[in-house]
Amino acid sequence: MKAKDIMEPMSDTLRPDITIKEAIKQMKMARRDDTRVGVKGMVVVTDKGELIGMFSIKDVLKAIIPQYMKMSELSDFTWEGMLEAMAKKVEDMKVQDVMTRDVITVREEAPLMEVADVIVKNNLQRVPVVGKDGRPVGIIYVRDLYHALVKAMLGEED
Amino acid sequence: MAHEAVAEATQQVVMNTTFWTATIIFLLAYAIIVSEKVHKTIVAIVGAALMLVLKILEQHEAFHVEELGVDWNVIFLLISMMTIINLMRPTGFFEYIAIKSAKWGKGEPFKIMAIFSVVTAVLSAFLDNVTTVLLLAPVTLLIADALEVDPIPFLITEALASNIGGTATLIGDPPNIMIASKAKLNFMDFIVHLTPAIIIIMVAFLFVIKLIFGKKLKVKPELKKRVLEMNEREAIKDPVMLKKSLFVLAVVILGFIFHGKLHYEPATVALFGAGLLLLLSGTHEPHEYLAEVEWPTIFFFMGLFIIIGGVVKVGLIKWMSQKVLEITHGNMFSTSMLVMWFSAFASAFVDNIPYVATMNPLIIDMAKEIWPNLHGIQLLHNPALMPLWWSLALGACLGGNGTAIGASANVIVVGMAERAGRKISFAKFMLYGMPIMILTVVISMIYVWLRYYVLKI
Repeated sequence: MKAKDIMEPMSDTLRPDITIKEAIKQMKMARRDDTRVGVKGMVVVTDKGELIGMFSIKDVLKAIIPQYMKMSELSDFTWEGMLEAMAKKVEDMKVQDVMTRDVITVREEAPLMEVADVIVKNNLQRVPVVGKDGRPVGIIYVRDLYHALVKAMLGEED
Repeated sequence: MAHEAVAEATQQVVMNTTFWTATIIFLLAYAIIVSEKVHKTIVAIVGAALMLVLKILEQHEAFHVEELGVDWNVIFLLISMMTIINLMRPTGFFEYIAIKSAKWGKGEPFKIMAIFSVVTAVLSAFLDNVTTVLLLAPVTLLIADALEVDPIPFLITEALASNIGGTATLIGDPPNIMIASKAKLNFMDFIVHLTPAIIIIMVAFLFVIKLIFGKKLKVKPELKKRVLEMNEREAIKDPVMLKKSLFVLAVVILGFIFHGKLHYEPATVALFGAGLLLLLSGTHEPHEYLAEVEWPTIFFFMGLFIIIGGVVKVGLIKWMSQKVLEITHGNMFSTSMLVMWFSAFASAFVDNIPYVATMNPLIIDMAKEIWPNLHGIQLLHNPALMPLWWSLALGACLGGNGTAIGASANVIVVGMAERAGRKISFAKFMLYGMPIMILTVVISMIYVWLRYYVLKI
């Protein structure tokens, strides 16, 4: 099997100039087939459909942890409600300011083994699949690989 | 009368090709440093190399002659103090002090600002300003977030306090280290002559920030609780190493206090401290701590010393000193005041390190013009010359407060604020910095005038 056989076709994408709050809402409402599943990461594309970044909950967490905690060992000094307060502070920042710009991708024709390797090596939760022209055509989540494993080991569709 | 005596003693400087070559290297190097087109350390190294390659200075002079070459006292003092701080930094000592101070201020924002200013000033007097600000600023941002107040006034007042505090001692600020080494002044000379001025200035500074921020900063009681509930002990990451560091720091400060009496150079004291703390730390990876020494700054110093050595040798500095004396007619009081104000404005816009590196030999050459028969300590410590050293130190150090680029501490807080998502514009910094600079230099002027020209003590 190849990447394109297990990927979920690209349906939902984010625009770089929307706010974090809007992006979170869009991710929460994400659908698969007809059911609302919600995702914790989405690709960011321009109006022309070019892939320019990946936006995930981890990027939001990175943005809400204050710089001073990274500069100094101050993680012992927090207060009740600090995470919520910091989240409020960043909600109006733009997606393009916090997204991960160096996106790791796989080709449509990439074998599943390559996909697994890329996911493990880079500690990813999801990897966009790109077509020949470099535009994103789908996305593979860790759970899609899990389904493939279940099928291989138990010989059944879960 | 004094002017005529000066004119008689003046020896003509020979303006030959060597003179002009050295002058061009010097001017070009300084122009490029100011323009920031090339990193200042690279400019200093290339300039120094040119002085040697073009045979303006012999390598022997650059490396081994005190008047013309690298001032190893300054270099080793800086390297050693940086090493001590690098070993001390991971213990969490500075975070502990900062959180303790915030709690001491009972979570009241203005009290915290005032206490942070005093703590920054005192730490900056004994450690370098950049380290002090670099270590206190993160805690400041944390406290400002906890109290939900704007961190910018806190950061700016800390930078200003750091530059004021650094002026108080021989080891507080690089200009003082350079002046002490050239003028053969010891740690206690600085304590006796500069510390009182700085205490007065600090009181005035606190009074001014009270006027500006005292009423403005108000927070809700429940936010104060966030600060009061912090446990500063959690900041201490390595209590054993902390004890060792404080012991060594105490030894070093005692060493500085008595270095004049014991006939040790400050660099000897600091080098001993660095060696001792490295030994006590039990580390097998000295590389880690030594690599963190700010080598670009150290090489900047070394390069500058050689460039200055070149223009001293060809007589440019002597020529400049003659011009200064022509302006002030050899009157020492007006020379002091000129030096102080010129230094302040120069240091507000350009790096005070190359500035003081140039002024030191200039003042010595000036003294030689005025007292051609005096040598050594008799010349350097001439009672009429002493106020000039203090004016240079006060002007060059306090001048750093004028603009966002005037001192390294300012550059650091501006950078930190930006990383925290809060921009401090050049104009905004100047709005606070320039009036404080002028105020502190006016106080220094009155201090120098009263102490050395009226009371003569």
